[in-house]
Amino acid sequence: MGSINDDVVRIRTLFESELLSAETLDALQGIRIRFLGKKGEVTSLLKRLGSLPAEDRPEAGRVLNELRDLMEEALSRRTEECAGAQVAAREAGEWLDVTLPGRGRPWGAFHPVAQITQEAIDIFASMGFSVAYGPEVEDDFHNFEGLNIPPHHPARDMQDTFYLENGLLLRTHTSPVEVRSMRRWGAPLRIIIPGKVFRRDSDQTHSPMFHQLEGLLVDENISLAHLKGCLEAFANRIFGRPLAARYRASYFPFTEPSLEMDVECVACSGKNPSCRICKGSGWLEISGLGMTHPNVLRAGGIDPARYNGFAWGMGLDRIALLKYGLNDLRVFFEGDLAFLNSKGERR
Amino acid sequence: MLVSLNWLKELVDIPVDAQTLARKLTDTGTEVEGLEVPVPLFSGAVTAKVDSIRRHPGRPDLFVLSVDAGQRRGTCITAAKNLREGDIVPWGPPGCVLADGTEVSTRDFQGVISEGMVLSAEEIGLPEIADEFGILRLEPDTAKGEDARKALGIDDTILEVSITPNRGDLLSMEGIAREVSAVFPEARYKGLSPRVTPRAERLDNFEGVFLSDAGCPFYALGSIDNVKIMPSPLRARVRVLLSGMRPISNVVDATNLVMLLVGQPLHAFDDAGLPGREITVRSASDGEMILTLDGKTRILDSEDLLITSGGKAIGLAGVMGGGESEISDKTARVLLESANFDSIKVSRTSRKLGIPSEAAYRFSRFVDPFKVETALAIAMDMMASWGAGVPTGWIASGAPALEERKVHLTSAVLEKIIGTGDLEMASGILGRLGIATDDRDPSRRVYRIPSYRPDISIEEDLVEEVARIRGYDKIDAVLPPVMHSTGDITDRMRAERAVRSTAMARGYSEVVTYCFVSPAAISALRFPGSDLRSTPVALSNPLSSDMSLMRTTLAPGLVQSVQKNIRSGWRRAIRIFETGMVFYRKGDEVEEVFKLGGCVCPGVDSRSPWGEQETEDFHSVAADVEAIFSSRGIAVELVPGNEPFGHAGKTARVMADGRDIGYLLVLKPEIEAELELPAPVYLFELDMEPMVHGGRALFGEIRKFPPVYRDISLVVEEGVYSSDVLELLRKLGGPLLEDVRLFDIYQGKGIPEGHRSLAYSLAYRDPERTLRDDEVDGIHGRLREQLSQKGIRIR
Repeated sequence: MGSINDDVVRIRTLFESELLSAETLDALQGIRIRFLGKKGEVTSLLKRLGSLPAEDRPEAGRVLNELRDLMEEALSRRTEECAGAQVAAREAGEWLDVTLPGRGRPWGAFHPVAQITQEAIDIFASMGFSVAYGPEVEDDFHNFEGLNIPPHHPARDMQDTFYLENGLLLRTHTSPVEVRSMRRWGAPLRIIIPGKVFRRDSDQTHSPMFHQLEGLLVDENISLAHLKGCLEAFANRIFGRPLAARYRASYFPFTEPSLEMDVECVACSGKNPSCRICKGSGWLEISGLGMTHPNVLRAGGIDPARYNGFAWGMGLDRIALLKYGLNDLRVFFEGDLAFLNSKGERR
Repeated sequence: MLVSLNWLKELVDIPVDAQTLARKLTDTGTEVEGLEVPVPLFSGAVTAKVDSIRRHPGRPDLFVLSVDAGQRRGTCITAAKNLREGDIVPWGPPGCVLADGTEVSTRDFQGVISEGMVLSAEEIGLPEIADEFGILRLEPDTAKGEDARKALGIDDTILEVSITPNRGDLLSMEGIAREVSAVFPEARYKGLSPRVTPRAERLDNFEGVFLSDAGCPFYALGSIDNVKIMPSPLRARVRVLLSGMRPISNVVDATNLVMLLVGQPLHAFDDAGLPGREITVRSASDGEMILTLDGKTRILDSEDLLITSGGKAIGLAGVMGGGESEISDKTARVLLESANFDSIKVSRTSRKLGIPSEAAYRFSRFVDPFKVETALAIAMDMMASWGAGVPTGWIASGAPALEERKVHLTSAVLEKIIGTGDLEMASGILGRLGIATDDRDPSRRVYRIPSYRPDISIEEDLVEEVARIRGYDKIDAVLPPVMHSTGDITDRMRAERAVRSTAMARGYSEVVTYCFVSPAAISALRFPGSDLRSTPVALSNPLSSDMSLMRTTLAPGLVQSVQKNIRSGWRRAIRIFETGMVFYRKGDEVEEVFKLGGCVCPGVDSRSPWGEQETEDFHSVAADVEAIFSSRGIAVELVPGNEPFGHAGKTARVMADGRDIGYLLVLKPEIEAELELPAPVYLFELDMEPMVHGGRALFGEIRKFPPVYRDISLVVEEGVYSSDVLELLRKLGGPLLEDVRLFDIYQGKGIPEGHRSLAYSLAYRDPERTLRDDEVDGIHGRLREQLSQKGIRIR
């Protein structure tokens, strides 16, 4: 018995030291054969069990089986380690610069005004407004007379008009589409009218062509409260946070009463007296609005005794300037990629 | 309009500070755009009496003054020669700050110490009020020792007020004062009470006033004799100046101050300059001419309203007077016109002739016809009190034409729009605006509209008056109830969005270019005269010739964007697109057509770590066009075609559903050179109509049986279009040929000169069963045979 125990100790010590120095799968296979193979060290010891006294055999068998299990486990653990290391080494040799810029064309760029138009339309569509369009070349009736602006009315001074050689004109606002839409669909009506408008004016804050979003709601029993409700919901959504709003009396021939809406400065909330965006006033003008004038409803073929409504107009370019913190309207019409691609020059 | 707060306070008590006043006026519709203190830096000067004047002992060009400011006396040196002992002058002692910010100090003039200086109008910052060279002499009754700002009347705040076109009544101090009293219930409006001379039957040495045009319903004429034309009193000159006008002379300043006060424009004629002994108001005859005050000769037509005398034009009614009867130093008798003219006629003449005078501005916005007499009375009174002349009477012709207006207001309508139907509250507000009622009915009242408020004619107008004075902040915001339908973005917007998302995903940036183009940009595209696009509709009043035509194509705007980017140093590929209208001349009408345009330019630097793979070419742009239209279920096809500005060998027409919807091309090399663009430039411009309309759903049927593939390579001559080969293969392939795909184009070894090899992968499929290889061999074999019979070489 003593000699078997000595052998177990010796074999185990030998195994452990060999295992420690084995680095490859081949070397591990060699160790397996040498110790656990048919003619291996442990196998030969097991074969010697029969020669032991009967009372010693169970104990010696247990010790030898334990040794074999221990070796099996150590070998398979080591084999796994080696295999993993080999795979890792191979893949490390197949290196790729994963930080290279992506291949193919980069994403293009959204025009700021198109972006705002889309957002604005989605907001109003969620309030039940549908989009309506109308021509950019208009006649005097739809652009002026039908909107309660007779010839020589001083309100025509407010919008310097481009005339065409044939007596038609470029619409100075999106309001002509109000009359066209009322005539087409009648009441009740909820529409928004996005589009290009034209005025004879060009400087940092005026472009001879710009974009408006007009809205018109005609129904029974409509109030200024409803108008405020729609526009405040819009302002809060488009600028992404609740903004204080205030209203000032104003004048538009096609609404009565007429108002202008200001919202709290989106940049400084009125806290910065030298704010570049609101010029320190704390407020930003965003829309002209009012209750639709009965003459306009009539021009649209709607009975003002039964229906009333409200309308508003806002400059989408201006809202884009405010939302994106820009100060020159004209960049919108220059197609400058360095501007449109906000990250500057890309591929 | 510029409103002097001091002047306003003479007419109405203002219970708040200037800021609050401005804020409240703005909220109620009279927008105050600015508040300004006149010559804000000027301070520290006092009024002083010149006690003695003597020559400087060592400097004969200077005078030594001894000045007395009551509490304080001093010695001043001046070079001015206009002073007399006893004059009251502004004295700036050391520490006084002049208008330009200079601080006055003590100075030694060769042994004589000058304690500060006596001041000229220039040094005070108001050169326009000077009436002589030298030091500004104040009115003789001015107290000494007073703050010079107060003595001059510049201790004021000026409100810059923007008046909406419907409120002509606010173009006067009186109107603003009335509005202030409506906005602040506690403010008391003092009103005007001029001394009125009784109307005369006739004037001395004058035949009378004759009206022969409905454009002038009422004309009054006052006579001021023994006129002495001089500068008006200093305070009057300051007031004229602070109100934004220029002091001219006592007579002219008086007419201007009265216009500013009550809103009624006046005009002073020099009696000696009238060609006749009467004044007639009539319409001009076509081609008639007048020399206006500004020295210009104007040619008139029969719509213009004229003031004439002795048959000759002496003024454009309500717009501007004539040069010959202008007030001069020699004027001895003034005939003062106060009349009412038709607003439309004045507006038209003023616009047509480009004369934006203060008078025309007011008449265009309506002047209260009942102000004619009041204004004349105040002006004559003013001139008399200034010693400018002696008023000797006034005559008038016609009568103020305005019917009395009554407008009702119901509590139901008021409540519907502003949320309260309280007519007591409404009557209170309206009453302060001069809109009165005797009714006490809580549900409906009739109001009398004063002559100065022509803008009020319907119930909604009264609602607005009540709502704005009450304050819009009193109305709570509520979303409108009851949606009758869901909101729809409509097909046009869906099409725009599909274009945007597809084009942007493929690397295009959206641009918006002007709808106006230059004649050069159109002619650069070489359209023949027969082409609709060669004759754009022109603007009659363009901002510049570069923006004088309505675009007939999106190409110029896109190409200019590319040019601008290249000029500003953009080196990489440019891919831009735009959607928008082009405008075709259709007889007298204009047809608007919705287009999609795109422009691609590989740029001057197309290097990339991926080599040539990223270079843009005709076929990559073609794929972009196909993808954009596929996004709305539209299949497009390219066929050979041409455009006058397209490269003759590289221009395709784009077809959708058999219809030509536009072009895809490489710009003509000579145009690229002319425009200094780095070649090649790819352009496409397509009708949006199919995109708006939308196509079929983008799904096929489920196929249960697999296809079988065979390849075929054909050798064809260069110049044979692959689309023709494709069509031939489809035609000959039989019913089981499902799909044909070009996968290789080869030229070189093994292919004869002037030829190319096109290799196609053909997919055969039977929807009912699995095809066997030998069946397919049979079908494919017959195809090859037929191609051979047509003389096509198969590799």
